[in-house]
Amino acid sequence: MVGPTASLSTLNRADGSASYKCPATGYDVLGAVNGPIELPARRDALKPEDATVEVFVKPGNTTAGVGERYVEGILRSVLGKVILGRERGFPRRGVVITLAIVGGDAVERGDSYLTILPALLHTSLLALLSAAVPLSMTFSATLLGVTKSGEIMPDLSAADAKTAVSRHVLAFSSKNHLLLNESEGRFDFNTWEQVRERALSICQELTMPGSDGDVAMGDESDGSKVDGFVRETVEDRLRRDYTWKIDS
Amino acid sequence: MSKEAPLSVSERQFILEALRQDARLDGRGPDQFRPLSITFGEEYGHVKLQLGKTSLVVRISAEVTQPRDDRPFDGLFQINLELSAMGSPAWENGRSNDLEAYATHVLDSVVRRSNALDTESLCILKGVSCWSIRADVHVLDFDGNLTDAACIAIMTGLQHFRRPDAVVKDGQVIVYGVEERVPVALNITHKPLSVTFNSYNDGKNIIVDATLKEEQASEGELVIGINNGGDVCFVSKFSGAPVDAMEVVVKSNVALEKVKDINTKMEKAMQADLAKRAKKGMADLSRAENDR
Repeated sequence: MVGPTASLSTLNRADGSASYKCPATGYDVLGAVNGPIELPARRDALKPEDATVEVFVKPGNTTAGVGERYVEGILRSVLGKVILGRERGFPRRGVVITLAIVGGDAVERGDSYLTILPALLHTSLLALLSAAVPLSMTFSATLLGVTKSGEIMPDLSAADAKTAVSRHVLAFSSKNHLLLNESEGRFDFNTWEQVRERALSICQELTMPGSDGDVAMGDESDGSKVDGFVRETVEDRLRRDYTWKIDS
Repeated sequence: MSKEAPLSVSERQFILEALRQDARLDGRGPDQFRPLSITFGEEYGHVKLQLGKTSLVVRISAEVTQPRDDRPFDGLFQINLELSAMGSPAWENGRSNDLEAYATHVLDSVVRRSNALDTESLCILKGVSCWSIRADVHVLDFDGNLTDAACIAIMTGLQHFRRPDAVVKDGQVIVYGVEERVPVALNITHKPLSVTFNSYNDGKNIIVDATLKEEQASEGELVIGINNGGDVCFVSKFSGAPVDAMEVVVKSNVALEKVKDINTKMEKAMQADLAKRAKKGMADLSRAENDR
């Protein structure tokens, strides 16, 4: 399996940005984060002690519709929990996350939006990290499909997702707590339990490749759960940004 | 925040004084564009354009729809430009602003209404089905001169795009997949581009391709849409200080030169990409492991 590729801080104007490419579905997502910024209207009346998180998903070659609004709602609720909106300077301000789908097939109207959800989640996390917005934890997400024969398939492509009986997106925090569970289709509780276990192992791989022989990258013996796709990308970027300091 | 941070008084003075001495902040001449880079994505019609620090992505897509009742022979073509907070923190998501309306208007006039894309060639079956071509502009970074950049990217995208082949058999429309038949290029009648001029110091200094700061210091602008053959298809002086009529004539010559130059660059980038694609496609087919 080819892992996802990502790069941080690719844009000039936004406070933080990330581009992310998912190999299985072919989606190429660009995320930008602006925050903390003043919001024009008074949208902070409900929770004056917290930052307002706004998510905007811009599809590649259609106008945004119901599907985008739905997935924006999911992202807002997950990211709203992860972002520490009560940190100094954040209450009554906004964190605006813009995600543009710049590559890959369009999600057609009526198609499942779950296929792109993990890519959107990862992009927004990386963009938030790039913007140095305080976060309570990092997370990783995955998409799994269950075929007719009850087999669980990882790395679903958009075509596979259509034929699958049920589709599940699960996100786990860096401490392996379940953060998000979105499921579609027919399935029973046992299947879901299996899906959860499988997703957990995949997400652990994403957050700490040291635990699996296949993707061992760093030093396994120190037992630190620190490597992983997200961490690697951020570390790479930091190393590049601080070369002047490291070298001296 | 829904306003771009305004230029400070001293910054404005500096830009104006520099222009009086024929100098620009980035050392360009008055008739010089910023470095232009055009790259292509994986699919046809996916253009990434970088003009100085302004960068955008254009995606062209096609689908089969029903033509409009009053124009049964015409296909549909629309340009969709939506500014999001990605390009500049001053733009609010999901809400249009003046720049968006203005840019859409210029693009519509220069590219769509000048008939750069022959919409009649998009007709498949009269009054029943036609192609609908859609150009989506995503602004990733905004540093001035959005319209020209978007115009170049859209024109490149239209020339680079390949739509699936469709034929009519016994009154039935058959659309062939990209694997079944070689996809066809769109029919481009001419290649117009817009060139935006900004004027300063009571019209004494007129420059092309202004950066955001230069745009903010500008007293007025002039947009000229012109094609390779020198046919002017759009001239507009929306607002700001007046520009001498003679300047419009002089500047349309400058615009023609610029358009020729950009079109050559565009052509070069596109040919290189298409050649690469052709090579790759052939390599896949002529593999020894394939069935003969």
